[in-house]
Amino acid sequence: MRPSRLTASSNSGTTSDPLGRSATALRPRFRSTSVRRRKEITAAYLFLAPGFFLFALVILYPIVRAFQISLFNWSIVPGTASHFLGLHNYSRAIHDPIFWRALENTGFYMAVTVPGQIVLGLATAVLLDAHVPGRGLFRTIYYLPVVTSWVVVSLLFQYLFITDGGLANWILHDNLHLVGHNIDWLGTRWMAMISLGILGIWKGVGWAMVIFLAALQGVPVELKEAAAVDGAKAWARFRAVSLPAIRPVIAFVTVMLVIGSFNVFISVFLMTKGGPLDETQVLLTYMYRWAFSYLDFGYGSALSFILTLIVFVLALAQLRLFRRPAEARS
Amino acid sequence: MRVGRLIVFLGVAAAVAVMAATAGARTSSARTTTVTFWDAYSAGGGEVKTLESVVIPGFEKTHPGIVVKDVTIPYDDLHQKLVTGVAGGQLPDLVRSDIIWVPELANLGVLAPLDQAMPDFKKVAARVFKGPLATNYWKGHYYGLPLDTNTRIFNYNPAALDAIGASGPPKTFAQLVSLSAQAKSKGYDLYAESGTSCWNVCPWIWSNGGSVTNPTYTKATGYLNGPKSVAAIQMLVNLYKAGEMPGIIINSNAGLGTYDGINQNKYVATLDGPWMDAIFSAAYPKTQVAGSLVPAGPAGSISVVGGEDIVMTKSSRNKTAALEFLRYMLGYGTQAQLALAGQMPVLTSSAKWLTRVHPYYATYVKQLATAKPRTPTPKWTQIDQVITTDVAKAFQGSESVQQALTDAAKQIDGLLK
Amino acid sequence: MVVGNVRRAHTVMSARLALLSAGAVVMILPFAYMLSTSFKPNALVLSIPPQFLPHHATTSNYTQAWSSNQFGHYFVNSLWVAVVTTVAAVLLSAMMAYALARFRFPGRTVAFGLILVGLMVPGLMMLIPQFLLAKKLLLLNSLWGLVVFYTGGNLALNTFLLRSFFQDIPWELEEAMVVDGGGPWTRFWRLILPLSRPALAVVAIFTFLASWDEFTWALTIINDPSKYTLPIGIALFQGQHSTSWGLVFAASAIAIGPVIAIFAVFQRQFVSGIATGAVKA
Repeated sequence: MRPSRLTASSNSGTTSDPLGRSATALRPRFRSTSVRRRKEITAAYLFLAPGFFLFALVILYPIVRAFQISLFNWSIVPGTASHFLGLHNYSRAIHDPIFWRALENTGFYMAVTVPGQIVLGLATAVLLDAHVPGRGLFRTIYYLPVVTSWVVVSLLFQYLFITDGGLANWILHDNLHLVGHNIDWLGTRWMAMISLGILGIWKGVGWAMVIFLAALQGVPVELKEAAAVDGAKAWARFRAVSLPAIRPVIAFVTVMLVIGSFNVFISVFLMTKGGPLDETQVLLTYMYRWAFSYLDFGYGSALSFILTLIVFVLALAQLRLFRRPAEARS
Repeated sequence: MRVGRLIVFLGVAAAVAVMAATAGARTSSARTTTVTFWDAYSAGGGEVKTLESVVIPGFEKTHPGIVVKDVTIPYDDLHQKLVTGVAGGQLPDLVRSDIIWVPELANLGVLAPLDQAMPDFKKVAARVFKGPLATNYWKGHYYGLPLDTNTRIFNYNPAALDAIGASGPPKTFAQLVSLSAQAKSKGYDLYAESGTSCWNVCPWIWSNGGSVTNPTYTKATGYLNGPKSVAAIQMLVNLYKAGEMPGIIINSNAGLGTYDGINQNKYVATLDGPWMDAIFSAAYPKTQVAGSLVPAGPAGSISVVGGEDIVMTKSSRNKTAALEFLRYMLGYGTQAQLALAGQMPVLTSSAKWLTRVHPYYATYVKQLATAKPRTPTPKWTQIDQVITTDVAKAFQGSESVQQALTDAAKQIDGLLK
Repeated sequence: MVVGNVRRAHTVMSARLALLSAGAVVMILPFAYMLSTSFKPNALVLSIPPQFLPHHATTSNYTQAWSSNQFGHYFVNSLWVAVVTTVAAVLLSAMMAYALARFRFPGRTVAFGLILVGLMVPGLMMLIPQFLLAKKLLLLNSLWGLVVFYTGGNLALNTFLLRSFFQDIPWELEEAMVVDGGGPWTRFWRLILPLSRPALAVVAIFTFLASWDEFTWALTIINDPSKYTLPIGIALFQGQHSTSWGLVFAASAIAIGPVIAIFAVFQRQFVSGIATGAVKA
């Protein structure tokens, strides 16, 4: 019998039917199988069609067009001819030192924000996974940054991170005397990327937390109790029972966060504009400059396609990494 | 499905509300022509208010049959919006464009050459300042008319100047350097600059006798990295290295912005434009700001021309009506009204009455007489970025001034081709 | 239910509260500052050093923000667009998710794969092609143009989440309806959707949020100030030469209000929805 969603295990049941239907359900019915199949296929298409049509129209088609643009020295005035370049824009990117710098910066940002959000999100979820008074209030407070627009938080944090007199240094240096001199949050490359990462973590922790909290609440108490009876302390219980149970959730969150971190744009654009001296360029700010400031859309499109490709490869790699052999589902 | 129903209900209610609200807008008479005007006037300082409550109603009253639709766009996004507008063939009738974008737009072929499209162009052009007018010139034609102009002067806080023991603002490079040291000893930064683009540093280059390119705008090597340009930047770099200029010139997040710094008695002065007075009287009423000419170098006191031009698009379907509004914007009434909001008029006749609008304009008019425009070329944005980055390297110390400017000049040569 | 001994549990609880509260302070500190600035008159400057309690607190920024330049109008525009987008996106993605979760048909894997690709592409890259497309579809300068593109843009994530949720609903329940003669639409509407309320709540909130905060596309296609949405309205408070921070933050506070209200009210649904939605993704 296919396990219902009330039990915790995530698995594939005892049949090979991708939908998990029982053998009884799959038993061929007499006579109307092919009619049934045709009806099933028609129904499927009818359900899929409206949404997929819209998706194909406003997302897939522009993607194709954007790729087409990347193959040209695209002239933005409609009606004028564009010069075909083949893959030249792509090889240009490979030879562009600022592209590589932007890639490093974006990768670094990802390396800072993804583990940061996962660890802190999970930790907060664990803390909230109990009858803590004011749980709803805590959840709302932690989620507040998530629902605020990037523009507003970028401006806020830019102010926070001002070296001479910003809120952060005022607290750390002038008041608490935790640091000897004012930290130059946004002035040098790696410090600025870390500061941007701090903003990224602050903004995203609530999202990860809410998802982890829900997942943790799905871990059956019986399993935790069994582990306690066996003498396992809290941390060991967590590692042995809860963590494995929410592994698929961690995978999902990781993939989404990686995609999001590679697409960082507004915070960098507003806070450092990729500076000083182009040291904090990320892939999207660099692409924006070429496309919208310099009007070279061909190159800009190529840069974003490279970005998409990297994200795609990373996502696939992660999904493979997180999938246990027994769980392989199509 | 309670939640779902609630959402649907809210949506329908909101839809009805919006439809009702916009219903009025859709019943415009078929006999009126609508002229669409894109601008980036600021909400603070009264620019937008003047335009929408004084100028446009005045125009519509005296020109029945023409309605002006003003679309205010945040300045930081106007260029992007113009670019998508070009790509999509969706441009308005008129645009208040930053002067540095006009060659780029003209080169794309989306602007109407006013010297051909406007029958009385010569007459109107004769009434405006020549410098600002020149910013509309591209490859043999004029693609717009100046709408407002401005330049940077040495804006300072008199009380702070007193506090550092100066008898007056610096009038020459030498006085600037000596006063800076004096200011530092009293805990002030004499001169704060917010960046290293041409807008920021070209006044110093030009006042020292240097330049960005040759007079025909075809070459930068030998000019941008010529001895006079290098010396001007070197002077500023020396001030910065001596700790006499705040770090915001390289890193805008290093400390207080120029306005805040002047208001809070950390900086004494900066170079800035006529809007400064309007902003200070609104936001920092207790702090006084006075102005003097940019400290003079061997070539004199030469500042940079800024401002906006009003351009008409080739795709406009209401060119006659649009030109009517254009003429109105260049009329004495409009220019005077906008002058109250910190927008310097472009009419040559304004020299007579401008100081009655605000006394501070006197210095700006004087500075404008010798101010130079930035290089008119479609690739200006890219060239400016090169200057910004390389000059910043010189300030940072990772390259010598000569090296940085030579690198920049080489890249600019390629872009000017 | 408490696992482990009781006294230890109390210490653990206090530790939890302490840590959570410390974290909450860090989360909320920037907002506290934002709020306090929004109550300062004429705040053209974020004062340095920072002032948490304004010297002359005033609500003038709020009244000015609301009454300036049709701000209230922008609010209604944003609300309308967000609500319509949410309804459309949730419906369409639920239908797609149902098809992908329950039926086998040729092209199923390809369709799902394409949807995943849609998740990964940066919106900025598609700006110009989308603009050209909107022009062809006569959707320029209209709120419907926003709705159509926002809906399309949200389909990928929503479908992805809902599909895994639907896969979890036991087939036996549906099978019972099949035996009774229920066609797919009936099963979808009468069984699947009601059972998925929490997941639908999640997807609805995500979509509402994305639409409410979206700036770039709105700025690109709207040329009529009366059709501006909230994010553009807030951006307009940033001038060419200076920014009215008090106004910007007051306007932002007004903008955050509805989303927080929705989240606070639907919190429990939201959390339990994610439980089974994202868990099986």
